[in-house]
Formats: sequence, C-alpha cells, structure tokens
Amino acid sequence: MKTLTGLVALSLGLAGCTTVQPWQRGRLAHECMTFDADASRAAYEAHWQESREGAAGGFGVQSGGCGCK
Amino acid sequence: MASASSPAAVAASRRPGTRLAPPLALVAGLTVVAIGEAVLLDGAEDQPSEIGIEFHTFQDSRGVTVQSPAVDLTRDFTDRTALRAKFGVDAISAASDSCVRCHSQGVSNRRVTLGASLVRKLTDAKLSLGAEFSQENFYRATTILTSGSRNFNKANTTVAGGFSVSRNQPTLHPRRVSRSQTTENAFVSLTQTLTRSTVAQVGYEFGHIGGYQNDPFLRAFVNGELLLGNNPDRRTRHTFTLRLRQALPAQTYLEADYRHYFDDWSIHSNSVSVGLSHQFTPEFLLHFGYRRYDQTGAFFYAPEYFGFPEFFTSDFRLEPFTSNLYTGRGVFTPRHGLWFLPPGAGITAQYDRYSSDTDFLAGIFTVRLKIPLGNRAGSP
Repeated sequence: MKTLTGLVALSLGLAGCTTVQPWQRGRLAHECMTFDADASRAAYEAHWQESREGAAGGFGVQSGGCGCK
Repeated sequence: MASASSPAAVAASRRPGTRLAPPLALVAGLTVVAIGEAVLLDGAEDQPSEIGIEFHTFQDSRGVTVQSPAVDLTRDFTDRTALRAKFGVDAISAASDSCVRCHSQGVSNRRVTLGASLVRKLTDAKLSLGAEFSQENFYRATTILTSGSRNFNKANTTVAGGFSVSRNQPTLHPRRVSRSQTTENAFVSLTQTLTRSTVAQVGYEFGHIGGYQNDPFLRAFVNGELLLGNNPDRRTRHTFTLRLRQALPAQTYLEADYRHYFDDWSIHSNSVSVGLSHQFTPEFLLHFGYRRYDQTGAFFYAPEYFGFPEFFTSDFRLEPFTSNLYTGRGVFTPRHGLWFLPPGAGITAQYDRYSSDTDFLAGIFTVRLKIPLGNRAGSP
C-alpha cells in the first residue's frame, strides 16, 4: 500500500510538469497508448475475470453482472 | 461468461443447440445486417462509426464451455452525439458439481445481454448515459450508468468519473423464489500526459452491494452436511488503480497496470499486468501480456465448518489463491480493407491462458472483426 501511495503521489507530482503540444502527440495517438481503447475487449476480460476472482472493478463503472457474482 | 463459473448456470449438456438457437440466430442476423450496412455506407459520410463483431470461446479444466458471440455498434449521428449499443450471448454447456446432483443428464444455460448508451461530446468534455439488461435462467440484472470526463491543460489532463446502480434478481432454483440485490459503484480517475511518450492514470472506485449475496447453488460442508452457503448481506469494496502507457523506440509500446483491492469481507488483492505491443508493419500489430493476481480469503471462508457458524461458504471466489494469465494477440488491418470490407476494417485474434494454484485452468480464444462505417477509401 505504501508503494501504491508513493506511485500515486509521484504521478500527481509529475502532473502538470510538462505540457505536450498537440503537434507533439504523434506517438500518443497510437491505440496502444489509450487506456481501454477497445472497450468491448476490456469489458469481456473484466467479465470473465470477475467470475473467477473475489476482487472487481477499478477500470470504470461496472455493469450489473450475472449469476456468478 | 461469468456464468461459466456459476454452478447456478451450468451442468453437463450434450445438446445445447436447440435451446440456444434463437439468440445465436439473432446474433447471426445482426452480423449480416452490420456487414451489409458497412458495405452500403462505405463513402457515405466521414463519421468515425464502427461495428464490432466478436466471438469468444472459453473452456476450463472443470469441463465448462462458454461460447459468446456479440455485436456492438458505435454510431455518430452528429459531431457531438453518438450512440453505442451492444448485444451479446453467453451460451454455456458444462458439468458442474452442484448441478449434476439434480441433473444427471446435464442442462445448459444462456445469458443474453443488451446495452445501449448515448454519448454527448462538448468542447472539452464528454457525458454518457446508458443502461444494460441481462437475463439468464435464474438471474436477471438491470443497470443504469452514467459517466463524464473533462480535459484540462490542452488535453494533457483528463478527469473522469462515473456512477452505476444495478438491481440484480437471482432465483433460488429449484424454488421459484426470487431475491433482490442492489449494487452501486462510483469511480473517479485522473489521466495525465507526462511526456511525449508517456501517459499515466490513477483511479479509485467505490462499490457497495446490499441484499442477497449467497450463491443458491453452492453448498458448504457444515458439521459433515452439505448446506447452502450463508454470506453477509452487505459488502463494501474499494479499488485503487495505477496505469502507465509508454511508447518505446521502434514502434513498441509498454502497457502496465496495477490494482489494489480490499473490502469489508477481508479480501485484499493485488493485480499486476504488463504487456508489450509491437507494430511490425502499419497493417500488423502483435501483443503479449502477463498478469499476476493474488487475494486473501474472506474472513468467513473455510474449507469445512464445525459448530454453529453464522456465515459459511464454499464459493471459490472467496478463498485465498494466486493466478497467472498469459495473453497473446495479433491485429491485422489491411491497408485496402479486409476482403470486401472498407479500409479500416481489421481482424483481431487473441488467446488467453489462465491458471491458478487451486488447480483451475482455462483457455479463452477470441476473434473480433472491426468494421468502420462510412469511412471514405483511404481514410483511417
């Protein structure tokens, strides 16, 4: 938990340090640089993992689920 | 799919096809309509709409097989308004310890999901409102969800949040009695562009579940007898996430996610996933990923109970375990279109192998076809 807190603090601390201009975002535009670019795939993975594991969520609002939850 | 692991849903079946025909036929029909629309609308407009058609096959070491066809549509009606809709089916056939006690010949189950959301884009913000409904043999879920995001600092910073509420209604088969469960989730996240090649995101999600939370099909050993479990009727969950995307030299991308979860049932878990993607050519991308997950058990979990315990369960999701997940994925997007489909159409094939130290093993194979709607030839 301390590691997590430290990483979060580091991320927030770095936020705003750099302003990347629109014309400098070429590499950021790639699909791999977008969180959950394929929402359907992310939803399916979360769906079957939550059917096996006690933890859930963290990557967006969840749906109602099914009989396994 | 989640139903796959639910003994509620599954039992050995050798002839599931007859009962599954209507939804599968509907998915097939939607697929034909989707492809037809993609071809007919080619060149009609420049809106970045698309249709996704996917098929998942899940198989695990218990003999559970789940086939999940799904169709999703994203359609931009104007520059600012988009509709997203999804229809999917989980067709389940399996042997389950619980179900075969009553159904020696086995039974099958299916879960049908229908969802839609409306997205409104503003200058630096986006709002969405949606609903989802799912129905299976002994379970029904209805969800309303809303979310919003806003960009700051020339779109280098994005703050997002959302809320959902679900009403779930399990049926206590073989009785025809239904119970009710309400789930509320809220999340907030901060996404920050750190450099020209680095993006990070931190997030927090809160969840509360109230009402019936037993699995009416899992029996626990209590004083040598098999009894239906009894779980607390309230559960509060907290999830923290930290995610990173790093562009590396030579068209290679690093994806790293960390999640820490805990709840008031004393489950603590950590999940770390790392992935590497490489764009070999403009048309072909390959991805490999690894995920490690561990959790502690619920405070009332035990392999067997003695005396007069208030709570008892045999739910495998509440026991302590560690799991590993390996993923391989290839994405092929031909420059001039896939077959007769317009440029931008692509196909994805993915294989996942999941194993845990509780002797559970699963393989998941996914094929997804993405078809842009209304893109002119040569446009992305």
